[in-house]
Amino acid sequence: MLKKLNKLFSSIRLTIFLFLSLAVTSIMGTIIQQGLPVERYKALYSPNLYSALKFFNVFDMYHSSWFTALLILLSINIIVCTSKQIPRTIKLISTKKKEIADTVFRSLQIRKTFQSKKELPEIERQSEILIQSLVGNPVKRVKDGTSYFFSETGKYSRLGMILVHISILLILAGGVIGTMLGFNGQMNIVEGNKSNTVILFGEKGPEKLSFEVRCDDFDVEFYETGMPKEYKTDLTIIDDGEKVVSGVMRVNHPFVYRGLKFCQATYGVAGETDFLIGARNNQTGKKTVLKLNVMKKTALPESNNSFAIARFVQNQNSMGPSVLGVFLEPGKAHDIFWIFQNGRNTNQQQKGGFTFTLEDFNTLYYTGIQVSKDPGVPLVWIGFCLILIGFVLSLFFTHKRIWLRISGSQEKYEISIAAGVSKNRKTFEDKLEGLIREITVE
Amino acid sequence: MNDTFLISIVTFAYFFAAFVFLVSIVLHKKPVDKCALIITVAGLTLQTSAIIMRWIHSYQLGIGHAPLSNFYESLVFFSWSIVFVYLIMRKRYRNSLFGMLAAFFAFLILAYASLSGSVNCAIQPLIPALQSNWLISHVISCFLAYACFVIAFGTSLLYLLKIKIKVAVLPDASFLDEVTYKMISIGFVLLTVGIITGAAWADRAWGRYWGWDPKETWSLITWLIYGAFLHTHLARGWRGVRMSLVSIIGFIAVIFTYLGVNYVLSGLHSYF
Repeated sequence: MLKKLNKLFSSIRLTIFLFLSLAVTSIMGTIIQQGLPVERYKALYSPNLYSALKFFNVFDMYHSSWFTALLILLSINIIVCTSKQIPRTIKLISTKKKEIADTVFRSLQIRKTFQSKKELPEIERQSEILIQSLVGNPVKRVKDGTSYFFSETGKYSRLGMILVHISILLILAGGVIGTMLGFNGQMNIVEGNKSNTVILFGEKGPEKLSFEVRCDDFDVEFYETGMPKEYKTDLTIIDDGEKVVSGVMRVNHPFVYRGLKFCQATYGVAGETDFLIGARNNQTGKKTVLKLNVMKKTALPESNNSFAIARFVQNQNSMGPSVLGVFLEPGKAHDIFWIFQNGRNTNQQQKGGFTFTLEDFNTLYYTGIQVSKDPGVPLVWIGFCLILIGFVLSLFFTHKRIWLRISGSQEKYEISIAAGVSKNRKTFEDKLEGLIREITVE
Repeated sequence: MNDTFLISIVTFAYFFAAFVFLVSIVLHKKPVDKCALIITVAGLTLQTSAIIMRWIHSYQLGIGHAPLSNFYESLVFFSWSIVFVYLIMRKRYRNSLFGMLAAFFAFLILAYASLSGSVNCAIQPLIPALQSNWLISHVISCFLAYACFVIAFGTSLLYLLKIKIKVAVLPDASFLDEVTYKMISIGFVLLTVGIITGAAWADRAWGRYWGWDPKETWSLITWLIYGAFLHTHLARGWRGVRMSLVSIIGFIAVIFTYLGVNYVLSGLHSYF
């Protein structure tokens, strides 16, 4: 049983199966949108299909138990394969008694044997050149009248693949830690307000922070096209009722506090305040600027009448921002009318001997903050760095080793070559053939 | 002079280069291959100047950013990458056929970028989410990876032609197989770099390095397919037709990651 399991988890077949299963199921996860509200799914699918998909947790499939199981199987697969690979690699790169070895002339992939009638010093000289140009500086050993040459380079490139696989395990471990101990959600705070509640993604409910976040100010700049150019929020952290730290959060420049990352994700208009309404007396020509908020009544100058704003509209009749004004005359029913900027539509803005204009107003924004905590991130970064080192080792370096043995005696020396390369075998062999031809030529 | 005008000259140059490479294959003459190479290098030089010009021009417009930020710019850089990767691989695998493939793919992409009405070639201001130092490294590594996969796709098709229809002018099947493997292994590493830089960027922008949005997921799917390719090649010694098919499937995944996600699915990468 144990043997069978060992065989299963050390097989590449399993790896391929898991790779393809992960790929195919991931495709499903991109076709069926993830994390939508329940009502949307109910509208999209028939009740039976909905229950089936719900049963297999397809609406949050990347966090489902079966998807996690695939990742766990993959991890075990990597652990078993790598732990078998490590002793082999150590054996391969350890330098013990390498110079003199007769077995390699039978075991290595690349083997050549040929004869030469040249003098021994000449053969040795040419052999050294051959090894030098193929691999590197040779070491010479003589045993029982037989000369051995040996050279090796790039043996640490063999560690590359091990490093890559260990990195993948680290990244997966980082992911597990993040899922178990971290969270990810959003908080919207209107300028001037504070909050400690993060609405978690994936219908997991709110998360209360141990401190409060206050949005001191929100700023947005626009391009001429009306597209946002930059937006940023001034934040203050309030812990135990005391201001702790303030900072700026911009898109791509998060604000970090106690391991929590606050990212500027979105923004929106929460409302308008501080309307400035110009009221010009038609007889005297005197203009007074009234400052007021929605549904707050104010008295008009030199008159018994008063004025209020009922509501604000961003773009009334394509004539720009506008407020619905209310004119109140004692003893009469109130009169409502639209007020635009710059007196764009003056007829309608005249009431009780006054001409009203919308001078200015303040837009109140809310800032959309994506809040995340992920203690697994350092592990993931280490994994990312190591995987790159691993790839560089195995991609840009080749493990090459070569043995050359000169045996026999005068007039009939036998030269044997054995070599092994971790990649580009064909190029190596072609070069070797060429160099051998140079030695054998009279 | 306008950078889009230069690009139209480059488009023509790549078409011409592909044609001269074809002549070189038919005539089997080295000087002709050299000629095609010169045209290709000239095209790439001109294209590089056009990209730099566009970069400078964006600063003159007051919306300065690297020209790697919308669909048109990505197409131009994609074709640049294919030719660039070809010139690098040419040092080891010198073959007019690959030159023809690379120049022709580059031509097709540029022609689509210039002629398709749906591709807007204007320099657009950069939305805040794209204003990041990660943009350049992320886009470059991804598109160099895509370019390697395009060439691997080409050599896989040639392999199938060689085996199934026995086209004589094609190089050895084992040679084509080796080139496919080499391009995929380099592309795989570059794709890994692309995914990592993307993850680092996502962590800065949204506070999470991985969020299973369709673009991210499809890049993982592509990675898994080519990962499977490398495992079967290295550990199980798969060669030949089966590998060509895996390479072609991988390429379909690349195209879907690049285009399909934007046109078919919805996600955070909607601007690209």
